[in-house]
Amino acid sequence: MFYLSLIEHTLRLPPHLLDLPLNEAIKGELESLFLDKVIANLGLCISVYDIGSIDGGFVFPGDGASTYTVEFRLVMFRPFVGEIITAKLKESDANGLRLSLGFFDDIYIPIHLMPNPCHCEPNPEKKSQVIWIWDYQEQKFPIDGIDEIRFQVQSVSYPPIPVEQPKESKPFAPMVIMGSLDYDGLGPVSWW
Amino acid sequence: MKIKKANAGALTNFEVLDFLRSRGAAKDPTRVIAPIAASEFKVYDYLVESAACNQTRESINELLEKCKKYDLAKAEILNIINIRPASPVEIDPIIEESEKRMGEGIEDLIEMVTTVLPPPPTQMNTEEEVVAGDEEIADGEQTATAMATEN
Repeated sequence: MFYLSLIEHTLRLPPHLLDLPLNEAIKGELESLFLDKVIANLGLCISVYDIGSIDGGFVFPGDGASTYTVEFRLVMFRPFVGEIITAKLKESDANGLRLSLGFFDDIYIPIHLMPNPCHCEPNPEKKSQVIWIWDYQEQKFPIDGIDEIRFQVQSVSYPPIPVEQPKESKPFAPMVIMGSLDYDGLGPVSWW
Repeated sequence: MKIKKANAGALTNFEVLDFLRSRGAAKDPTRVIAPIAASEFKVYDYLVESAACNQTRESINELLEKCKKYDLAKAEILNIINIRPASPVEIDPIIEESEKRMGEGIEDLIEMVTTVLPPPPTQMNTEEEVVAGDEEIADGEQTATAMATEN
């Protein structure tokens, strides 16, 4: 699920941080720049693991702050295809399920990757949502929100940033994971 | 920004959890004082409820040693450490073509995983149920009531 990535970045250190020791100031700047942000093809940045080297410290003409070239490692969340992850159900509608990991919410299970055969029934409690039920050997297994759901990662995609978005659409998701429940051992933990 | 190495090493859930703990993450109430961002706390919350919360570096090294004879891919071992499968049906999505490659070895692998890695808190409840069910298999009625009371 998690990887280390080695990144080099040229960082401008604002003057108001001059009283802090260099390491802390740079770490703080890196965290505000990268933490909880998605880097295309690398994944979601969870944390700054360590700082390898700090170079530079030059002040360019016309600028009030010094610039450093920093080499550091980030802990990235980037599941590989085929990884099994346990997540909680966030919403379920007619297009499939949406799962959440707490720190990452854009996990979708489309209908064609649900266990075959299954059908959906309207949820009596929440009107816009639907309960998916798996029909296996004449027994019904509902996917309710009670226990955790195990799924296998089918693909991880990074849709490009849209230039314009209509006002009412869902907020843009820079990283989307497609999962599959269509295998033995996958689905809510209580099924197995 | 230059990406020097996109993949400088895979981390198990336990290693990330250990890293966050070493920086001072813990369950409430010290949250405000620890130098950890709110987004990192969400990752910590997720990991603490997964199978990684009871693991230790020694148990993972032991598991890696014992897994060598099964000739598993690195991704499969990573999945096993992160999920801690406790039954053959859980191994199935993790190891490709598990019956062809391992056959009988699956049972041994599961027994080894359950003995080397400690069970996470949620799995411990279900394992107690299974033990209670097995012991009273002779009397069908007692099994049913045992499962009902545990539930």
